[in-house]
Amino acid sequence: MSQPALLQFHQELRKCFQSLKANQTVWNGVLEECTPLLSSLGNLAEQLRALKSVEIANTPLSTFPNLPERLQHKLLNAVDTVLGELSEKVNALDLMRASVCKQVAAVFQMYEQNSELLPISTCVARCALSPSIADMLEWLQDTERYYRMQCIQRKNLLQLLKPDDLTLLETAPKRWTSLDSPRGEDRISGALFQVSFFMASD
Amino acid sequence: MDEATTPGRKSNLTGSARKLKDNAADWHNLILKWDRLSDEGSTVATKIVNFRLSKESLKDPEVMMEGESLSAAPAERSAYQSNPELEEECIKLQNVVDKMANILSKMEKMVSAEKGICELETFQYGEKGRPTPLFQTWSTRQFAEVSSGLYEAYKQELALKRTILREVAHTTNPDLCMVYLTCWLYQPYIQDNTKLLLESLLMETGFRAV
Repeated sequence: MSQPALLQFHQELRKCFQSLKANQTVWNGVLEECTPLLSSLGNLAEQLRALKSVEIANTPLSTFPNLPERLQHKLLNAVDTVLGELSEKVNALDLMRASVCKQVAAVFQMYEQNSELLPISTCVARCALSPSIADMLEWLQDTERYYRMQCIQRKNLLQLLKPDDLTLLETAPKRWTSLDSPRGEDRISGALFQVSFFMASD
Repeated sequence: MDEATTPGRKSNLTGSARKLKDNAADWHNLILKWDRLSDEGSTVATKIVNFRLSKESLKDPEVMMEGESLSAAPAERSAYQSNPELEEECIKLQNVVDKMANILSKMEKMVSAEKGICELETFQYGEKGRPTPLFQTWSTRQFAEVSSGLYEAYKQELALKRTILREVAHTTNPDLCMVYLTCWLYQPYIQDNTKLLLESLLMETGFRAV
């Protein structure tokens, strides 16, 4: 009796993992696009720092009118542009996070609606080709949490960055890299490996 | 009085209108060329600075001793001269600046030509100028003003780049080196309104759709 419900639920799980897989590629692509932006941010901070520490009046550049102000203006503009591009990237990450959340929520909702048809014994049963439902649900939840944390941390970092706070700007590339979580990514890849036979067995 | 006054008929513009429109196209092309040269120079200048700074860090101990022995100075000088790589980059940068100077002299000619057009118009129509504009809305004097505005910006920029060329290979202060590079790259005297002037000029003369 629970067979059709189980099949249907399996189908839903497959769909979810499928989109998770597609999502992972796009996610990593967007993160890669952020790297050059972060390094130019660090670069700009370095230039602003140099500008601040040089007494233009005591250099061969002293004859040029309003030079420090003009340079500062140009550099701050450039910082603004980079920050804008970064925030677009982080928004794209957030959209992906939202779509993962939505799909995982849909799977859980389906599970709850059919929980009577899916007894514990069914949920923990596994075979060579398919992990147990319980395991798969756990992986989905882990993935969702991972994306959620990543988005919050990266958004948070971006919100801290202000064009006039040089120290923060200078350390931004390092902080950004420190948010990378190879373990989190590995766990998603691991889960996707574990369900590969399951996904193929339609 | 054979100038065509309709902006739509591009092919048979003559006289002042022809000249102004050609100048507008020249402005566009010269500025494109300038930007390309500026990028090229930026790469070269960065190389020079990196070269200098990496050398400086090697030479640090010598610099410390400089106060004690006077012989350090000639030794340092010979280090400069026996450096064909650095010299080569400096020559490249010199070439870039020379080409930019060439562009600027063409710009200057356009400015004086447009001044001439204004004077001609004053001669033909009196102080008030021609009754109808040559293109859309600008008076001839406005063309001359835009040209000289653009020229002044690029003139200042060339002076800045010349200073950088002169100093960048002789600077030991890394911060100042960085400031030179920033100056070169961000062209502080070419502001957003400079680009706006150019775009308006192109729009007025019909190169850009209104």
